Amino acid sequence: MKTPRLSPQTLRVLERFIEGPTAWRYGYELSRETGLKSGTLYPILMRLAKYGLLETKWVTTEDGVPPRHTYRLTPNGVALVRSTFADSRASARTALKARRPAFGGGKA
Amino acid sequence: MTPLAFSRSVAIALLRFAIWIAPQDTHDWGRGMLSELNHVEGNWSALIWSLGSAGVLAKHAVLAVILPGSHRRTVSTASELFEKEIPMRKATLAVIASCVAASLLFFLAPTFRQAFRVSLAQWHDIFHVRFDIDGQKSDPELQALARRAEQNHDAEGLAFVAARQPNKAEAIRLADEAVRLDSNLTWIYAVVAVQWSFFPELDRWVPALQRFDQTNALSYLITAEKIDIDQVGGKKIPRSMEEEPVAWKDAMEAAFRSGKLDTYSSQLKELDRRVLLRYRIDNPFQALDRHYWYGVPSYAVWDSYRYAKSLIEAADTLEAQGDPKPAREIYLSVARFGQLSGPDGGFFIGREAKEACKRLATLSEKDGNKTEASFYTSLADQFDKKAEMQRASWRSRSRGGSSVPHWNAFLVRVSGFLVLFCSGILVICTLGVVVRSRSMDFSSFRPSPLTLGLAFASAIGTLLSSAVLFVTYWPYSQLLQRFLRTSDDIHLSELSAFLGDTQLPLGSEFSQAGSWYVGTWNVVFFFWFAVTVLCAFALLIAFVRHFRTRPRTSAAA
Repeated sequence: MKTPRLSPQTLRVLERFIEGPTAWRYGYELSRETGLKSGTLYPILMRLAKYGLLETKWVTTEDGVPPRHTYRLTPNGVALVRSTFADSRASARTALKARRPAFGGGKA
Repeated sequence: MTPLAFSRSVAIALLRFAIWIAPQDTHDWGRGMLSELNHVEGNWSALIWSLGSAGVLAKHAVLAVILPGSHRRTVSTASELFEKEIPMRKATLAVIASCVAASLLFFLAPTFRQAFRVSLAQWHDIFHVRFDIDGQKSDPELQALARRAEQNHDAEGLAFVAARQPNKAEAIRLADEAVRLDSNLTWIYAVVAVQWSFFPELDRWVPALQRFDQTNALSYLITAEKIDIDQVGGKKIPRSMEEEPVAWKDAMEAAFRSGKLDTYSSQLKELDRRVLLRYRIDNPFQALDRHYWYGVPSYAVWDSYRYAKSLIEAADTLEAQGDPKPAREIYLSVARFGQLSGPDGGFFIGREAKEACKRLATLSEKDGNKTEASFYTSLADQFDKKAEMQRASWRSRSRGGSSVPHWNAFLVRVSGFLVLFCSGILVICTLGVVVRSRSMDFSSFRPSPLTLGLAFASAIGTLLSSAVLFVTYWPYSQLLQRFLRTSDDIHLSELSAFLGDTQLPLGSEFSQAGSWYVGTWNVVFFFWFAVTVLCAFALLIAFVRHFRTRPRTSAAA
């Protein structure tokens, strides 16, 4: 199976979701946590939702305040993202090993 | 309830408008973005949030127009999630590569190479191309041609270079060499002499010219000019005709007595054609270098005018003394010289020639010869018309000539600039990707969307501007080819006007009262100022990026 190509921004969003897989998150909240502007964040969310990895829901928070759009990973999404992170970590470990010098560079 | 700040109101309005134009399946997302706007702290932050969100919705709106009927689909594997990017990038890279290949293919066409070369002429003034190399004016292309002509003992090739050579000593040497190889080319002495006016070899060249073409007034005008320059150099400027040296008067008298005034323009044109074909020179500037050339010494204009005026005054005196016969002869010589000098030179002594014709008409009327009188009157009118036509042509040229070559030249300059600009951006993008990936392995290249977009736009830009350059220049290349093949020079003036305009740096022209004028005095300054500002800006961006993205201790931990 090919390793999926993840942009650093998508990884940042997925990291936030995977921290609390069952929690519903707001767009502005995600934007502040990831440091992504709305123009970057929403295309990522829309793409995740398009592929069935993210579900959306309208929730009413306070009286007189319009309902908010909230997001969380679907079970399918959680599984896929976890496998992706596992693959990424394995790749990173392999890369680190490959970079270690043969002589003199390791810990004493 | 406090009124909303202006920036927040704008943010809300903008996002509402974006939702309105967005496709139906993104409306929920749009409303989600709008609802989040209520929770964004700060009015300016709200505006920035709205701008970003509106951009996303606008992109979907545009995509919905370009790719109608796109449907949702579900994915079952992780690789499918991001594999959409791969074909998209591949498609973009394929388009970029195709555009670059197509643009490069243009260079296979000689016409396009010629067009590209013409479009580069606007930079010659800015980068001082062709001038002042080692303190001497020179043209590498002409030097190479001169070397080839010397190796081949080609007299015509040498004469061709001599007529164009920006270095005086070299022009004289080549002209001498050409005449040594082929004495039929002695007329090239006149061409070079008219161009450079004053040099010791003239003492040898003028007699040679007089032997070569005894009835031509040109060699006498060259002599008169040499005497003029001698006097100016010795600060002995004559204030009246009486103060003029005898040699000058003799030269002018001989010129006015001559049977013709041949500037050898037709010989030069034919020689140009043959040499251009022989050496396969595809530089149109070389081909038409001499088109605006009047072929008479610059002092000759003033000399002819002064001499003609003095002759008319002398004839007037004779007429007043009751001696009309010699007066008639003098008037005739002025009128004849006016006719000899043709449409170009005729303009300079047109007034005197016209005056002489009028006097001749009056004398004929006095003699009772009405036919002769009406003939001289019509001749005087012709001088008038000729001079007016010449003035109109001058005015037209000084104001940029016909608008068609002017605008075509503008298109060629803009498209040539865009070819360079877009190629430059493309090269920078490629270098950026290579530097970032730290590898020359194509599969390791990961261009960012911005880089990819820039490269895509510049590749398309390069292709389109190449196409515009080719299409605009094509008719002019045909005019040049027709001249080279058939010697047809009817539309050569149009080509000359076009080429003249292509040499103006972009932005150096300005329109006033419907006419075009040229002001190149500050283009060079503005160009280098813009280059300096852009470099400073690029350095600033590089510094900011460096300090923002450098690894920090906390991040490493």
